[in-house]
Amino acid sequence: MTATHLISEDAFASLLDRLIQDMPVMGPVERRDQPGFYRFDRLEKTADLQVAYTTTTIPPKKFFFPPVDEMFTFDQSGPLHIEEQAEGSPFVLVGVHPCDLAAIEALDAAYAFPPADMRWIRRRKQAVIIGMECRPDDYCFCTSLGTADARAPADLFLTPLDEGYLAEVHSPMGSVLLSDTAARQATKNDRKAAEQVLQRKIEAVTARLTTSVSQLADILEYGGLTAVWRETAERCYSCGSCNITCPTCFCFSIEDTLDADLSGGQRQRSWDACQLLDFARVAGGHNFRGDRWQRVRHRWHRKFLYLYRRFGRPYCTGCGRCSRACTADINIVDITNRLVAHFQQEHKP
Amino acid sequence: MKEPTGYEKLGYVPEIAHVLKAVPMTEQEIFLDLRLPGKTELGHAPGQFVQVSLMGIGEVPISICSSPTRGDTFQLCIREAGTVTHGLHRIARYAQLGIRGPFGKGFPLAELFGRDLVLVAGGLGIAPLRSLITYILDRREDFGRLIVIYGGKNPRTLLFKEDLADWDKRSDVELIVTVDRGDETWQGRTGVATEPLAELDLQAVNTRAVVIGPPVLYRFAAMALFEHGLTPETIFFSLERNFHCGIGKCGHCQLNDLYVCQDGPVFRLARLLDRIEAVEAWAPEEDQDR
Repeated sequence: MTATHLISEDAFASLLDRLIQDMPVMGPVERRDQPGFYRFDRLEKTADLQVAYTTTTIPPKKFFFPPVDEMFTFDQSGPLHIEEQAEGSPFVLVGVHPCDLAAIEALDAAYAFPPADMRWIRRRKQAVIIGMECRPDDYCFCTSLGTADARAPADLFLTPLDEGYLAEVHSPMGSVLLSDTAARQATKNDRKAAEQVLQRKIEAVTARLTTSVSQLADILEYGGLTAVWRETAERCYSCGSCNITCPTCFCFSIEDTLDADLSGGQRQRSWDACQLLDFARVAGGHNFRGDRWQRVRHRWHRKFLYLYRRFGRPYCTGCGRCSRACTADINIVDITNRLVAHFQQEHKP
Repeated sequence: MKEPTGYEKLGYVPEIAHVLKAVPMTEQEIFLDLRLPGKTELGHAPGQFVQVSLMGIGEVPISICSSPTRGDTFQLCIREAGTVTHGLHRIARYAQLGIRGPFGKGFPLAELFGRDLVLVAGGLGIAPLRSLITYILDRREDFGRLIVIYGGKNPRTLLFKEDLADWDKRSDVELIVTVDRGDETWQGRTGVATEPLAELDLQAVNTRAVVIGPPVLYRFAAMALFEHGLTPETIFFSLERNFHCGIGKCGHCQLNDLYVCQDGPVFRLARLLDRIEAVEAWAPEEDQDR
């Protein structure tokens, strides 16, 4: 059984104080440009941490896979010289909700699949992760994806209770974090209180898929859903906001930038989006997903069919970010349920 | 986790190769002969590709057109199609460029051993196919009949003219070159590559076919091969997609559930037939209701 402790708010604050002095600590903070919206950013002080946030616009994957990741610099003023850019230094990521924990774990699987992406893996090894119980909104649907109580890959997971936090230790690093912190063994009542918090959360998640993830994969594989793809594409602007805000999207493109002296520069990879027109276009001009509905279908297939079959888990954690961000108000739960309904309609007994 | 090796270790940092030869082949294609530092062999298999880069301009995937049986250099045939290839067309001898790879699964050599082979290329498809043809010629006794059908737009666009002349002279290569439109000097065949394919006399049971070309070639070549009794199990396609990373991560080359850069680029046709995004195997529009 997972070791559980109870730590007071003050004890947690002093733990964070110590961590902030030692190394960068990233956590959810309120956006100054958009009050009521949150972002993961470096905490300057413990008070910056927003414990009770709904969700962030951009998921925490950005710390392991930066939107623009400088991979190496080059200098060709003399013989070509290339210098690989290191992946940064150890840091703490605090306040990660279960859906986002599950997403990091999903990306671990995808990036470690041979041949592995060492830039992701090296950054992941540098991170200590402290998870945090969440408060869902209307867009959340984690209960349909089995991620409502996800813990891995957190080292420590906190559930806010009346008298502090229930702290679950999920790794040796998790115990190290608590070793200098005033904590007592959690009692049966503490654990029960945390379970009630989880239970209340699960009840608060009202958006729901009308099928299981395994049936959804079967339905997508069976096909015959073009009417729904086309209807969704009618509304879609192919802006890629859903991809960019998705915690499990991991596509990128590789490009160069050149310094003003025309001899130095860098090669970087940056987040790319399969919804953009050019994503699957080849040099000769052929576009393998030139129609918008093909790109819409690809996104659903990738999340709920291809990667589900390859890695045994859907590449969606029910965070709802794509629906919140959609410029055309396309809701992933609505569309998925429409796909299911369309399939059922076509296959009435 | 085990220690990273090969391109896991190198990651996205290219090795620096030297240009030993840069020879224009046609108005659109340039031929490059390259060597890695310390004369290290590239270690490729026929049908694989590399990522070629010019610092400050970018990186592009290019098929390797030479055979690993030919020493410590490797060769590329590059069509000018974008900014990086534009730069590569202006590269000089002794210049340096970045190389990552080789990537992907090449031709199924173990399965080709001992069999009669029909190799069909359209246009630039002859470049990856040349790596296989050269490999076969270097181990000629290991293979059965070698039939090469190469179709080009017109005589001026034909690539590897010296190789074509060599292969044509050999009694152990059945080479058929055809162009869509001849000119006043053209003595050879005209018409599409699938016409000579239909005329062949094949023993389907012991034959394997490879097709590489523009999207339109694949389906018609496969249909002609089916007429001869070949099946989706005995026909191989090498596909082109938009490759960025080469290691099945960036998502650009995805063909349904497959990453063409790792699962391909050479596929058994049977593996593509139930995948709707393999437009080489499927008619693009009417078959898409999946």
